[in-house]
Amino acid sequence: MARRTAVILLTFMTFVAAGGLARADDPQFTLTIKDHRFAPAELQIPAGVKVKLMIKNEDSTPEEFESRELHREKVVPPGQQILVIVGPLDAGTYPFFGDFHKDTAQGKLIAK
Amino acid sequence: MIAVAVIVFREVLEASLIVSIVLAASKGTPRRGLWVAGGIALGVLGACIVAGFAAEIAQAVAGMGQELFNAAILFAAVGMLGWHNVWMGRHGKEMAIEASALGREVAAGTRPLYALASVVGVAVLREGSESVLFLYGVAAAGGGGLVNMLGGGAIGILGGVVAGAALYLGLLRIPSRHLFAVTSWMILLLAAGLASQGAFFLNQADVLPSLGNEIWDTSWLLTEDSVPGRVLHVLVGYVARPAGIQLVFWAGTVVILLTLMRWFSTAPTRTVVRAAAFVALALAGLSLAHVARADFTIHPPIVEYREFEVESNGSYTFDPNPANKHNETGTLELGYGVLPWWGTELEFAWSRTASDPPRRLDEINWENTFQLADQGAWWLDPGIFAEIGKSARVGNANHFEIGPTLQKEWGNTVHVLNLFLEHGFGPNNDTKGLDLSYAWRSLWTWRTELQPGFEIFGDAGQIDRIGGIRDQELRAGPVVYGRISLGPVLGELKYGVGYLLGLTHATEKGALKWNLEWEWVF
Repeated sequence: MARRTAVILLTFMTFVAAGGLARADDPQFTLTIKDHRFAPAELQIPAGVKVKLMIKNEDSTPEEFESRELHREKVVPPGQQILVIVGPLDAGTYPFFGDFHKDTAQGKLIAK
Repeated sequence: MIAVAVIVFREVLEASLIVSIVLAASKGTPRRGLWVAGGIALGVLGACIVAGFAAEIAQAVAGMGQELFNAAILFAAVGMLGWHNVWMGRHGKEMAIEASALGREVAAGTRPLYALASVVGVAVLREGSESVLFLYGVAAAGGGGLVNMLGGGAIGILGGVVAGAALYLGLLRIPSRHLFAVTSWMILLLAAGLASQGAFFLNQADVLPSLGNEIWDTSWLLTEDSVPGRVLHVLVGYVARPAGIQLVFWAGTVVILLTLMRWFSTAPTRTVVRAAAFVALALAGLSLAHVARADFTIHPPIVEYREFEVESNGSYTFDPNPANKHNETGTLELGYGVLPWWGTELEFAWSRTASDPPRRLDEINWENTFQLADQGAWWLDPGIFAEIGKSARVGNANHFEIGPTLQKEWGNTVHVLNLFLEHGFGPNNDTKGLDLSYAWRSLWTWRTELQPGFEIFGDAGQIDRIGGIRDQELRAGPVVYGRISLGPVLGELKYGVGYLLGLTHATEKGALKWNLEWEWVF
């Protein structure tokens, strides 16, 4: 029964996800992880709208994009890119970091 | 190596705490060790597989595979924990009543251990897969990476396991007759925390709205990266900056699971009573829309031991002056009588004023009542009330309030006096010294369901410069309170309504106040 419940749940969520995903015309920005650093380390994005962040990991090791302020936490496998949707955000500064290399992988979004 | 150990410790700690709660909850059940070990083993295997397929999962479902996968397993775990608690609500008593040890074992043997084992599996899988990815990265970095990975990984895992074992041994010190109640609560809060995490991922996947990106920020007090923060994150779902949707899922899980546990518990329940409970919940939810500063609340010194309560207060003012016309306040409170002499409550207070129309969360208050003597033991029942409040609005101050609360029963009448001192603090505090407020309530217990009386609320201002009474806030007026029993299973509904007249020119002309409370012993 547990498995059936899980399957139903997953199917349901897949449908909801397909319906609720951000639109194609949302502004998109790219962040690149190289040598365990984010480039650019400071990214300006528009406030008040949903924004898509494409995060590319050019390192050979996995990273986890994380931000307490943005409520986001997502693994970026090596050599891959992932999509993180943020906002609509109030104007302000939102720090983020790479959880697996916190000493170097630091950055911030500046919503204006 | 230490840096590696710290990260691994953090991940292992979460899984380890969950395992120890499950072990304590299933104490005395045959073959539980086998089930839990099986759950851990499958979790570790699953963690390696998930880590191996991280890239595939990340790209699935239009790039939202990670979020949906996490949410799905988190909600599956919530379901399992809920199912276990409902089952225990139904059969736990039978198990305890069984006279012979053999009978108890047989009854306990039918427990849904697979539910707990799968929760263990899920916890290990989720936290484990991150550890595996991270450790893989360390090893792949080269230059002593492998040594770092093995050494740091081992220390981290060991640390996590030791912390879990400490919690387990601590729980075992609780006497057996209370252990079930304690672990039921822990499982309930664990489920609520996991549901809030599930909501986090569904919001990240853009499936659910955030309902407010940051309802409050307690990172000044406790970050989730600290060890205590991490522990609370697992045990009760603590988040320093919760999104609105996380709070909704947390509270929703608590209310739904408690209701299910009550419904399916062995004691009989009538449909009418269930309907009444639903109406109560709906009303409590509705008052969320109205909400208040807890100005018009009397705090009696009596602690209702082991009683859980959901309470909502509200007020609405009337005044010819447009600035005070139709101000609304409201609260939603969750409380529990932890000890015979200590009751604690978490209160969310909202308001809306004519000059600042949007309804917004004002503050979050932690209220505590300490009962100083057994009820009736002294001529006067004494207690201490203490509250600490964190402002949720930009530019407002935090506060601390403390003072005596006294109660006297006289024949059919009950009288309560509160005398509180308040002190503001924090970066936005612009008041100095202490503010004195007082409140009085007298009720005549005509019937349990109908207790008429009156209340007085006054605020004298700062104690070192108390002005004339004309410049102080003072309100008084008639009130009616009552209790309606919903039966042995669903507890009790309490209501109160009153109209307070402003007695000085510094007070608004009139204020309608009401409160609704649902209580049950757990």
